[in-house]
Amino acid sequence: MSTFSSVQMLQGYLKVLTDRQQMIASNMANIDTPGYHTKDLNFQAAMSRVINERETERDAIFEPASIETSSLPERPDGNNVSVDRESMLLAQTQLQFQLGVQLVKSQMHMVLSAIKDGN
Amino acid sequence: MSLFDMMNISGSALTAERVRAEVTSANMANAETTHTEEGGPYVRKEVVFTTRNSSPFGTIFTGLGKFAQPAAGSVQLSQVVDDTTPSVMHYEPGSPDANAAGYVAYPAINPASEMVDLMGAVRAYQLNASAVTAAKQMIQQSIDILKTT
Repeated sequence: MSTFSSVQMLQGYLKVLTDRQQMIASNMANIDTPGYHTKDLNFQAAMSRVINERETERDAIFEPASIETSSLPERPDGNNVSVDRESMLLAQTQLQFQLGVQLVKSQMHMVLSAIKDGN
Repeated sequence: MSLFDMMNISGSALTAERVRAEVTSANMANAETTHTEEGGPYVRKEVVFTTRNSSPFGTIFTGLGKFAQPAAGSVQLSQVVDDTTPSVMHYEPGSPDANAAGYVAYPAINPASEMVDLMGAVRAYQLNASAVTAAKQMIQQSIDILKTT
């Protein structure tokens, strides 16, 4: 059923966003750790993995889709976490998550409306 | 669940930054301490932060599922070390801590740099507290999916 497949896709979207938010939290937590490098999620790779989830075999172990960001300027202690970048990504991911949640809700509302004969 | 992991990561940073602020406060409080139980003046303390990856149990458990855990690390305060800067000598012959030549050893603490360190700790604490707020909102939104009527 198409409604449930799109809900499943949205579930994958929320999962990827959660992983990304966790990475941002990790970067923020390590803002004063010497030698720490900013980590980011390869959004496209993570998303395509979630979409093609059913076609791949069950036991396959995936590499984490994390990449180290090298373009940011490094501080003298070898740390390159940028507060502005992380705060922006935090807000952005939060809003994207809200969007995903609203879409799930509207899908569920459609199912409910079908059950109730369109009332 | 990942959203709760996010709160744990930010929580570890809150703990680490709070201890850093405590150590800095101790340094400022003891800026003029010339006498300690170990003998000699107070020695300035410094904190060392290191990245800690998720627990072995969590790594293996999530490895059983479809997704390998993304490399996410919390922060931990691994040790508190002594500053090796030699103490500053002041000529105070009347002091009970004065040496034979009349000099008293004071800890090499600069109040301005301690204050800057304290401000850094407070700002980092604020940053991670806002990350906790974001995680809380996301969890609340997920719970609100159940409220479809």
